[in-house]
Amino acid sequence: MGFFVFLPLVLPLTSWPIARLAEHHLYPRNAVRLLSWIGVTMAVCSTLALGLLFVVGTAQIPGNPLPDSWSDPEIRTAVPFHEEVGTAAVVGLVTVLTACSRSLRRHLRIRARAQRALAPMPLDSDLVVLPDPEPYAYAVPGVPGRVVVSTAMMDSLDADEQRALLAHERSHLLNRHHRFLLAAQLASCVNPFLRPLQKAVGYATERWADEEAAGSVGDRRLTARAVARAALVTRSAGPVPSFASFAAPGPVPRRVTALLSPALGESWPPPASPAGLAAMVAAVGTAASAVFALNAAVALLLLVKAATPW
Amino acid sequence: MELAGPEPDGGDSGDGEEGGRRRRGQGELATEVLTVLHGAPGPVTASWVQEQLGGELAYTTVMTILSRLLAKQAVVRSRVGRAYVWSAAADAAGLTARRMRRLLDTEPDRDAVLASFVTALTPEDEQVLRSLLNAADPPQDGAGRGGGR
Repeated sequence: MGFFVFLPLVLPLTSWPIARLAEHHLYPRNAVRLLSWIGVTMAVCSTLALGLLFVVGTAQIPGNPLPDSWSDPEIRTAVPFHEEVGTAAVVGLVTVLTACSRSLRRHLRIRARAQRALAPMPLDSDLVVLPDPEPYAYAVPGVPGRVVVSTAMMDSLDADEQRALLAHERSHLLNRHHRFLLAAQLASCVNPFLRPLQKAVGYATERWADEEAAGSVGDRRLTARAVARAALVTRSAGPVPSFASFAAPGPVPRRVTALLSPALGESWPPPASPAGLAAMVAAVGTAASAVFALNAAVALLLLVKAATPW
Repeated sequence: MELAGPEPDGGDSGDGEEGGRRRRGQGELATEVLTVLHGAPGPVTASWVQEQLGGELAYTTVMTILSRLLAKQAVVRSRVGRAYVWSAAADAAGLTARRMRRLLDTEPDRDAVLASFVTALTPEDEQVLRSLLNAADPPQDGAGRGGGR
C-alpha cells in the first residue's frame, strides 16, 4: 500500500478549483450534478482509506475484536508510521461516523418536524400560506412536498413575483435538491477538504431553481426582482449576520446578478477554458482517489488473506 | 402529536375523573373543551366552559385541561378583572404557523434541509441589491414597488 493509501484523504483538494469556477462557468444543473458526484465519490474513497488505516491501527489495541491474524506484523508494516497513523485513523473514523450520523439524524428530524407541523393543512394544494409577520419561504421535502410561504412574504411581492417565488420553490421539490444538499453535507462531514464543494452545491441548487423559475415565468428580470425584493424584506426583519464587512457579495446579490445577465448555455465549457480544465483536474483527482483507495483495499485484502491461516 | 387536536391521542389512559362515570381520554376531553371554546361567543371563563360541558367534569379538571392546552398554545388566556377568560387560539393555519416558527427558531441549520428562498443579507449586500434593483427596474417604478408591473 505504502503512501498511496493516504492519497484519497488529500485528493479532495483537487475539487477546489472547480468548486470555485462552477458558479460562473457551468450551467447550474450540471454544476450540482458534477459537484455532488465528485463529492460523494471522494467521500467514499476517503472513508475507505480511513477504514483501511483503521484496520491497521486497531492491530495495536490489545483485545480488539478483529481477527488476531490481522495484527500480523506484515500488515502493520504495510503502512508507513503505522502506529501513529493507525491511532489517528481510529480517532478519525470514529469522528467521521459520529459527525455523519449526527448530520443525518438532524436532517431527518428537521424534515419530520416540518412535515408534522404542516400535517393539519389541507392537501389540495402544494402551497401552504401561513399567517406570520415574519417573511419566509421554504420548500419542505417529503411526501407530498410542500411550499411554505408566510403571509408577510406574499404581501411584499406582487402577483408576478409570487409566481416566480413559487416556481423557484417547486423546482427545489421537483428536482429533489434536498438529496444533493444532504449528499454534499455528508461528504463534507467525511472529509473537511470537501467543504467548499458543499457550499458550491448549495449555491448551485439555488441558481438551478432560479433558472427554472425564470424559464417557467418566462422573464429573467422579473425573477431577479422577486429574489431581490424577498431578500430585502427578509433582511429588514431578520438579524444581521456578523460577517466581515469587506467580504465578497453574498449569495443573493450574486444570484440576482446572474439572473440579470444573459443565460448560460447548458453545454459544458470547452476543455481548454479554465472551467473545463478545473473540471478535468477534479475528474482526474476523483478517478485517482478511487484508484488509490481500491488499490489499497485490494493490497490489504491480499495481505490479510495471506496472513489468515485458514 | 403536539396538540391534542381533533383526534383523541391519549387513548384510554384517561384522566379518570371522579365517580363511576365513563372514563375518557385526555385527548377526547381536550377536544371537547376546544369545541366549546370554538363555539363560544367570545372569551369565556373556565366555569362557563364547565357548564357547557354539562357540569359533569370538576372545575379543577377543566382548569387542568385548559392549562395543558395553554402550554400547547392551542388556547389563549387573558385577565378580565380578577378572573381569566379563555378562547381558542388556533385555527389550523395559525397553529401550523406557530409550529413552523418554532421549528425555524430552534433549528439553526435548517437551511441545509429546507431550501429557503433567500438568505439573510449583510448591509453591503443590501446596498448592492438595491442598486441592482434600481438598474433592473423600468424607470417608471425604479424607486420602489410602484404598484407592481
